[in-house]
Amino acid sequence: MTIRETNPRHFGSRAARSEDPRFLTGQGRYVADLTNVGTVHARFVRSPFAHAKVISVETSEALATPGVLAVFTGSDWADIGITCVSSYPGFQSSRMPILAGDTVRYNGEAVAMVLADDEYVAEDAARMVFVDYEPLQPLVDIADALADGAPRIHEDWEDNVFVKRRFVSDGFQDALDAAPHVVTQKWEMARHSGTPIECRAVVATYEPGRDHLTVWTSTQIPHLIKSGLAAALGRSEDGIRVVSPDVGGGFGVKAQLYPEEVACAQAAIALHKPIRWVEDRREHLLTAHHSREHMHEATMAYDDDGRILAYGVEVRVNMGPYSVFPWTATMDTGMAMGILPGPYRVGEYSASGFPVATNKAPFGAYRGVSRPAACFTTERMLDQVARERGLDPLEVRRRNLLQSEDFPHRSIGGLVYDSGTVRECLELLVEWTNYEDLRVDQERKRADGRLMGIGVVPFIEQTAHTSQEFLQRGVPIVFGYETSKLRLTPDGRLIISASIHSHGQGLETTLAQMAADALGIGLADIRVEFGDTDQVPYGSGTFASRSAVLAGGAARLASLELRDKLARVAAYIFEAAAEDIVFTDGHVSVRGTPTRAMQLSELCRIVYQRPEQIPPGETPSLEVSTTYDAPPGTGTYTSAAHLAVVEVDAETGRVQIDDYAVVEDCGRMINPMIVEGQITGGVAQGIGSAMLEEFVYDDQGNLMTTTLMDYLMPTATDVPRVRIRHIETPSDTVAGVRGMGEGGAIAPGAVLAAAVEDALLPLGPVVVDRLPLSPERVLRYADRARSNGR
Amino acid sequence: MVDVTLTINGTTVSRSTTPRRLLSDFIREDLGYTGTHVGCEHGYCGACTILVDGEPARACLMLAVQADGLQLETVESLAPSPDALHEIQQAFQDNHGLQCGFCTPGMLMTAKALLADNATPTEEEVREQIAGNLCRCTGYSQIVDAILSVGPVVRETP
Repeated sequence: MTIRETNPRHFGSRAARSEDPRFLTGQGRYVADLTNVGTVHARFVRSPFAHAKVISVETSEALATPGVLAVFTGSDWADIGITCVSSYPGFQSSRMPILAGDTVRYNGEAVAMVLADDEYVAEDAARMVFVDYEPLQPLVDIADALADGAPRIHEDWEDNVFVKRRFVSDGFQDALDAAPHVVTQKWEMARHSGTPIECRAVVATYEPGRDHLTVWTSTQIPHLIKSGLAAALGRSEDGIRVVSPDVGGGFGVKAQLYPEEVACAQAAIALHKPIRWVEDRREHLLTAHHSREHMHEATMAYDDDGRILAYGVEVRVNMGPYSVFPWTATMDTGMAMGILPGPYRVGEYSASGFPVATNKAPFGAYRGVSRPAACFTTERMLDQVARERGLDPLEVRRRNLLQSEDFPHRSIGGLVYDSGTVRECLELLVEWTNYEDLRVDQERKRADGRLMGIGVVPFIEQTAHTSQEFLQRGVPIVFGYETSKLRLTPDGRLIISASIHSHGQGLETTLAQMAADALGIGLADIRVEFGDTDQVPYGSGTFASRSAVLAGGAARLASLELRDKLARVAAYIFEAAAEDIVFTDGHVSVRGTPTRAMQLSELCRIVYQRPEQIPPGETPSLEVSTTYDAPPGTGTYTSAAHLAVVEVDAETGRVQIDDYAVVEDCGRMINPMIVEGQITGGVAQGIGSAMLEEFVYDDQGNLMTTTLMDYLMPTATDVPRVRIRHIETPSDTVAGVRGMGEGGAIAPGAVLAAAVEDALLPLGPVVVDRLPLSPERVLRYADRARSNGR
Repeated sequence: MVDVTLTINGTTVSRSTTPRRLLSDFIREDLGYTGTHVGCEHGYCGACTILVDGEPARACLMLAVQADGLQLETVESLAPSPDALHEIQQAFQDNHGLQCGFCTPGMLMTAKALLADNATPTEEEVREQIAGNLCRCTGYSQIVDAILSVGPVVRETP
């Protein structure tokens, strides 16, 4: 169902963003900017141990501090917590406490909440809460948790694995046994996270007279937070309003229900006062859900020509102690098992997934969820095949990639690729970047003793997947549709209320671009609202590269329905046929008869205020709410290919990224400027994953990287200019768009690891098997390459 | 409590404050200029960058009492009128130099200071100068382009 305007004015244009002026003038409204009379400030007392028994919590000194109103501890709220149970058989469930009870299970877990009339006093008083701990053996790494005789993170569990899942195709073992060549390798991606510049923040108010709770929180998923709060607090949803105002970056970190949100709500109910908690950066690095810590053990069987015969991967992910709402603890392993075959012809496949419970911080979403690790493993394996067979890495991809005629393709990982131009993306990238010349240049530099490397990676990305995908994932809430409600005002302006959110993606602009053309109105006459559950329709929120497709599609469908109604009214007034009514530049007219015209605002006024002038049977309203789930619900796929050129300094470990080029096909682009901004930003985060970012724990499970001087994010001198070209192959969704918010972040790890490995080749062969490529690690690879080369 | 008198965005204000109050909290919560954002409170991310006597400074690394007698400029000072943007702001919009908007005020103030110091910076100089401001959304190139695109006239009369 591709619906395209015959003469689009706004769809597809590089329109300036509607949201920019308020951000540029300091008038954005983030949670920490809200003020309420009589606000009480919250600070959390957090565990200095990764795993310990809580013997006692002494609060009297804190309570005696002038200005302190209350201190809550785990025993106060022992009966509330966050649970998220997967329907996969054998899933071992956990309950994330709001404040830890008798056991703390990660460094930074909250054990008490201090409330004071001043933020500084609250922080002082938090230091006056004395907790007596009895340390327990921490299970830090996956191997610790899986070791024979390891203590259990949760006493009632059989072991420390949330659920064990395995898929083996019928002919896998035979193909492996019969294959002429097999490569086996372990791959690791370090724990890191989205780390938005705005930390988390919550303001909660409670009105006892109405028994009504309002929670302002910096979240990507306001309605799901409302449902999660209702479940955790045992309240009805009509008594809860969640408002997510401007959000200073999400990237998945703000797509979980957090205990602090529940705690602030609970404290507001208990104290009948507004509660405010603004997270500090240390708390954020300690406790805002981490991501990405994957360990893969991969086996690939291939023939003499480098064609894949069988592929098997065991996926282990270090999940921390609790299953998170709404994703459960199975998201990363499940997605990896699905997408590891990638854009390749894989005849036989085996995958197993082990989300492992440990004493690290809980694990949630981060842009690209699991795909950066899956892409890393599969692409790195193909690079090994290339080296073993003496082939160019590009050639190995060409021999294994799915071809245009293979689409739609049911992958052996169980996904349905609706369409794909990954081959076309790769070939355009190769031609555009003069790949052959790059190889010549590389030879020249190698002759001069310089270590230049090239990485090239194609990938396919599932986007805007809805019910059919999430049903398979066994999550308790199946994320399907999104809804956009369109209202025309009596003066002819359009208000779009959407169930998604926007935290940098520019959806305030692109949803307007989706709706404007049908009604012939300008973007300045459209207001888009998000985030307030009392105002916007129910829906899941913004994650998984879905919002433009789903809420945008819904907005487009609703705009067409509004246009139909306006056309019927105009036709009645003009005594013309409805199909002859045209909408342009804020005017409504009869095609070919420019004298019969009126302003859109006049027509809207008539519908609302002159009911006697509208056709009998038409309702005097201009409000349409439309839901869209991008059938069949298995997702529409975006194709891309990335290429990087690096130069490595084997004496310092420094990796200079000399070029980074992307070709991407995300279908019809609503706004190419925004698409390019998303790609560039995604690549920058991917470069962080590849080169810099790592949550380092010591062997006792203490997080060592608790400032931004230890946890390094890319700066303007770390990120090169990303060159981008587009292919536009319409999808079958409304308006032919595909999701693309995450894509940029998926490939950089695989690309840059390949480039560094390639660069080091003159020193000797080495397998770059772990990210990030800090200078220290690059030096180790260089040393290993030299000793292998001897 | 300590009395503090300072000038912010051209207005002189006097307040009584605690000696330990951070300038960032003072600006945001006591004076109501919430355009200055706080991202790390340890002087690394640059979101709270303001101009103190014309020089960029981290509001989270100063105490309010240290600003006594000084001239402060925050992002709210840039736009010439409520319905117009400063050229640097306009350049950020034109070049898509912002996404979520959280780092933007600090980035704009850093940009203003760097253009005041160097009217015709190279790309490398711009990257060096803004390397103390973290942006998690854009990947920086569009911010660099925005700063480079600001006309020389504006650069010379900041």
